Amino acid sequence: MVSRRGFLAGGAAAAASGAVGIAAGAAGASLAAEADLETFAASRQAEFYGLHQSGIELDIQAVTNMVAFDIKESVTKADMLRWMRLLTDDIARLTAGEPVLADPAPELAIGAARFTAYVGFGPSLFSKLGLEAQMPEGFAELPAFGVDQLKERYSGGEVLIHIAADDPVVLAHGTRGMVRDSMPFASVRWVQPGFAHSPGMIPAGLTHRNLMGQVDGTANPELGSSDFDSVVWINDGPEWIQGGTLLVFRRIAMQLDTWDQLGTPSKEEVIGRKLSNGAPLTGERETDVPDLGARHPNGLLVIPEFAHIRRAAPQESGERIFRRPFSYDNGMNERGSMDVGLLWTAYQRDISQQYLPIQRRLEQLDLLNQWTVPIGSAVFAIPGGVQGSELLAEALFS
Amino acid sequence: MRKISLLFLTIPLLLTGCVSPGGVVAEDLWVKSSEMSMQGGMTAVYGTLTNNTQQDVVLVGGETEIAGVVEVHEMTMIGGEMKMQEIDGGLTIPAGMSIVLEPGGNHLMLMMLTDDLEAGEEISVTFDFDGAADITVDGIVAKPAEGGDEDYHSGEMEMDN
Repeated sequence: MVSRRGFLAGGAAAAASGAVGIAAGAAGASLAAEADLETFAASRQAEFYGLHQSGIELDIQAVTNMVAFDIKESVTKADMLRWMRLLTDDIARLTAGEPVLADPAPELAIGAARFTAYVGFGPSLFSKLGLEAQMPEGFAELPAFGVDQLKERYSGGEVLIHIAADDPVVLAHGTRGMVRDSMPFASVRWVQPGFAHSPGMIPAGLTHRNLMGQVDGTANPELGSSDFDSVVWINDGPEWIQGGTLLVFRRIAMQLDTWDQLGTPSKEEVIGRKLSNGAPLTGERETDVPDLGARHPNGLLVIPEFAHIRRAAPQESGERIFRRPFSYDNGMNERGSMDVGLLWTAYQRDISQQYLPIQRRLEQLDLLNQWTVPIGSAVFAIPGGVQGSELLAEALFS
Repeated sequence: MRKISLLFLTIPLLLTGCVSPGGVVAEDLWVKSSEMSMQGGMTAVYGTLTNNTQQDVVLVGGETEIAGVVEVHEMTMIGGEMKMQEIDGGLTIPAGMSIVLEPGGNHLMLMMLTDDLEAGEEISVTFDFDGAADITVDGIVAKPAEGGDEDYHSGEMEMDN
């Protein structure tokens, strides 16, 4: 992108200098470059085949649909494998920007737009199919937390398809194809749409902002790093989960009306970070390590006892997760109060060793709890990726 | 109406497909799984067939373990209604061209199914040609699908077989 921008600037400079012959050629080329820029989002493709499923170790896309299913009563392991055969092929095609087989509206496949989808399984699926022995270590329903106000319509589920793309039409079309192929096997339990930034709004690798204004996802392991591998990707246990991960999903409602009554210093103390750039209150840059011991001249902690980042900071070395939260906006009531929040997702090797200790600390004390309420919750085990002609979760259902 | 389109080679071959250089190439094949695709019932195979030979070839029929009868069908307007019927003499694929078998259009009709055909199952189908070698394609997946305005529900009597 940088070099392309440089080229456009060069074309403009040549035109301004009055070098007519050169300017004409440059203008033609810059028009083509501009047209390229206009449709750059369509051509960008994620990788489907590999050790891991797609849509996790990837800069967040613009829009998402999380669709949870409950399987039909008669469904067997063999039926699950037939379902996975359909979904594996669907995702491969959609990731490449192509219509699925039997697509009644193939003209909607207008570009890859970083389409991704991954599949996961809830704990109750394992008991329903007699697959308890295949449960990954550290995978179980979450305990009830004191802060929870969970609603059934946002919680649970036996199978998850988490779809995302950089374009809402591409997302809707892909979702439709995959749900159509799921209907012989399951019914939809819930669907939760969400969004982040449009392509081109923030540079790759930069943390995006949630609707409270905070940069959300700081201190995540870096994509593509060995740190990411050790936090997220499972490398032992049952064959089907190797290369996979465990997902904690929480729908977290934000109380923006009362949050907006706070001034900037108060908002920053709640989190322990500056709103402007996400830097810890003890630092200058987002990447600076918070100094949890630092005190003001009056003796008060710079990052207060109740601050979110103090409570969430790991107390054992393994207590880390990878967060990839999308926002949701579900309209507003007659008083203009917005029903907004996060489709909060955390990926890890072991929920009991990674998410749970952090969440227990946040439950006990985290001033942020006053403005954030968990209203949906689910956990899913995400199988590893596929190569060649393998099917998703083939080793689990064969 | 026969639908003939040029083959765009940018479409990559995915999970199903059968390459026979110099003959007919089948791509993106699928078979419909619906409430009609039960034992004794019917379904159809769709996809793209490309004639890579120098002469016209004709799709005249096929075989598959799952069906007692295989016919090449077209959808056509009969008395103001879209009906399916067997194509007299088969379906011609001109040299170097492709035909698309699709719901609401030409298709390979499978009748008198020997077993239920459920979504996600795979079948093997042999396509019989005049003018080129027959081809057998494995791993043709059954997709849950409706649509194409196909007059499936009116029974064989109205199919003008």
